[in-house]
Amino acid sequence: MAGKGRSGKVQSRENRNGYLFVMPWILGFFLFTLLPMVFSAILSLCEWDIVTGLSTIEFVGLENFTSMFKDPKFWQSLKVTFKFCLITIPCYQIASLFVAFLLAMDIKGMKIFRVVYFLPSIIPTIAATMIWTRIFAQDGILNKSLSVIGIKGPAWLTDRNTALYALMIMGLWGVGNTIIIYLSGLQGVSEELKEAARVDGAKGWQIFFKITVPMISPTIFFNVVMAVIGSFQYFTQAYVMTEGGPMQSTLFYNLYLYQKAYKEYQMGYASAMAWVMFIIIMLFTMLVIKSSSFWVYYQNDDKL
Amino acid sequence: MNRSKKINHRIASILATLLLLGGAVVIMIPLLWTICMALKPASEMYTDNFFPKELAWGNFYEAVTSIDFFLYLKNTLMIVIPNLVGTVVSSAIVAYGFSRFDFKGKRVWFLILLATMMLPSQVTMIPTYLIYRQIGWVNTVLPLVVPAFFGGGAFNIFLVRQFMSGIPKDFDEAARIDGAGPFKIFARVLVPMCRPVMTAVGIFTFMGTWNDFNGPLIYLYDSKKYTLSLGLAFFKGLYTSKWNLMMAATVLVMLPVLILFFIAQDYIIDGIAISSGTKG
Repeated sequence: MAGKGRSGKVQSRENRNGYLFVMPWILGFFLFTLLPMVFSAILSLCEWDIVTGLSTIEFVGLENFTSMFKDPKFWQSLKVTFKFCLITIPCYQIASLFVAFLLAMDIKGMKIFRVVYFLPSIIPTIAATMIWTRIFAQDGILNKSLSVIGIKGPAWLTDRNTALYALMIMGLWGVGNTIIIYLSGLQGVSEELKEAARVDGAKGWQIFFKITVPMISPTIFFNVVMAVIGSFQYFTQAYVMTEGGPMQSTLFYNLYLYQKAYKEYQMGYASAMAWVMFIIIMLFTMLVIKSSSFWVYYQNDDKL
Repeated sequence: MNRSKKINHRIASILATLLLLGGAVVIMIPLLWTICMALKPASEMYTDNFFPKELAWGNFYEAVTSIDFFLYLKNTLMIVIPNLVGTVVSSAIVAYGFSRFDFKGKRVWFLILLATMMLPSQVTMIPTYLIYRQIGWVNTVLPLVVPAFFGGGAFNIFLVRQFMSGIPKDFDEAARIDGAGPFKIFARVLVPMCRPVMTAVGIFTFMGTWNDFNGPLIYLYDSKKYTLSLGLAFFKGLYTSKWNLMMAATVLVMLPVLILFFIAQDYIIDGIAISSGTKG
């Protein structure tokens, strides 16, 4: 590409102009990404109480990591986050795909349904937490509805057996984004291919599992990776609605990281936690990418 | 045969409509209920009726005055507007560089750009906080505003670049023959043609900043500097029993986003589809 059959003068002008325009981002990358990353890596090997200032920073090697692995709260936060991932990812993905599949069926009023299903996902998180705190209250609408069919509902958010599940139910309300992405993926599946299969005598469900699902596998892949990242970044709902409680049953990883950094001011420990989170996300993404050659089908390989 | 197929198809679409309708009702109940709660007078707050018997529009007034609503609104806009300007302008500039010039190392930079989209913000959050603290920016809006002017985020750059790369270079060529330089081509030719994607970026930025909770929570200590998101959470702690007022405030916080959504839903929905690579 660059410089092929061009005079040096043209190329140097391309270089100058190109760098001129991308410069804001390159500067931003160094200032707000690379520099903090390096700083964060150093910090994770240090102990530092922010209140006393830079002079008290002390190199402690891997101590932050070893004390993290001995910290039961760290393991609890990891457990909560993984549990959330393991339950919500299959549930949300299947539910979203199902709704998207129905929406793609070319029914009347599809546009209105699309708006309705998408709507909750644009509502500010803080507003959604307000609404759902009230829904899950002991005397809230959920328990009132349950009492109609004779079930006495728990105090969802203050019972350690139900708090995490309450957050999962709330999350299901906001999967509109995922639905839209699946819908768009489904609309891209070639009609001719489905028709050809139909002519060959394939049944509806066969077409769905043998053609539609493989064709949208890159979309599934995208959504699953995003969902894992989202679970590790889950914060506002847990912070506002349950504060990690009751009895640490909703102590999400990111919430614990926040508490360590901004409540206990253990910046070194918190940085170490951030790196562990980064490694987990990377490992998981790599796992999905590696396995994707088995189950993801790319129509054309120029995804970039 | 053909007729039975048609009937099958009809049954399937009726079934789908019924399922979707059921789901839609379930989804709308929390929202409808919020609005009903917001309009209930204090005397009806703990009654079992879903709809208020009497509409207490005064709740909105009371909610606005009992929290510093307009102050929080002003604070929020002081963050939202610069973010909007910074992101829309700088993402377009950077996207132009990536889409129109074959500079040395472009592929590597673009890969780095894509890689940063995968980087969780928590990794950089603490050191950036410490840096801002060192230079005295904590408890000001600067940390929440300044980064937007440096490209406005990898995702937005990527979105605009994809769109721009779809515009034939013939347009640039024509302008160049007329004597336009790279700046003029950008401002006069590409920006007008990129209006749809820039609008989408603007909408996403507005919603993202309006809804942001984590950023203001970390950087703004002083309750006089709170944004609406923080103010609402703060309000929850103060008036745990005045649910009708809390819901009125919640409705007011949602309202701008809802209005924007109804005006610009096509941009929003398309933008999300494009971002996942399923469209565009």
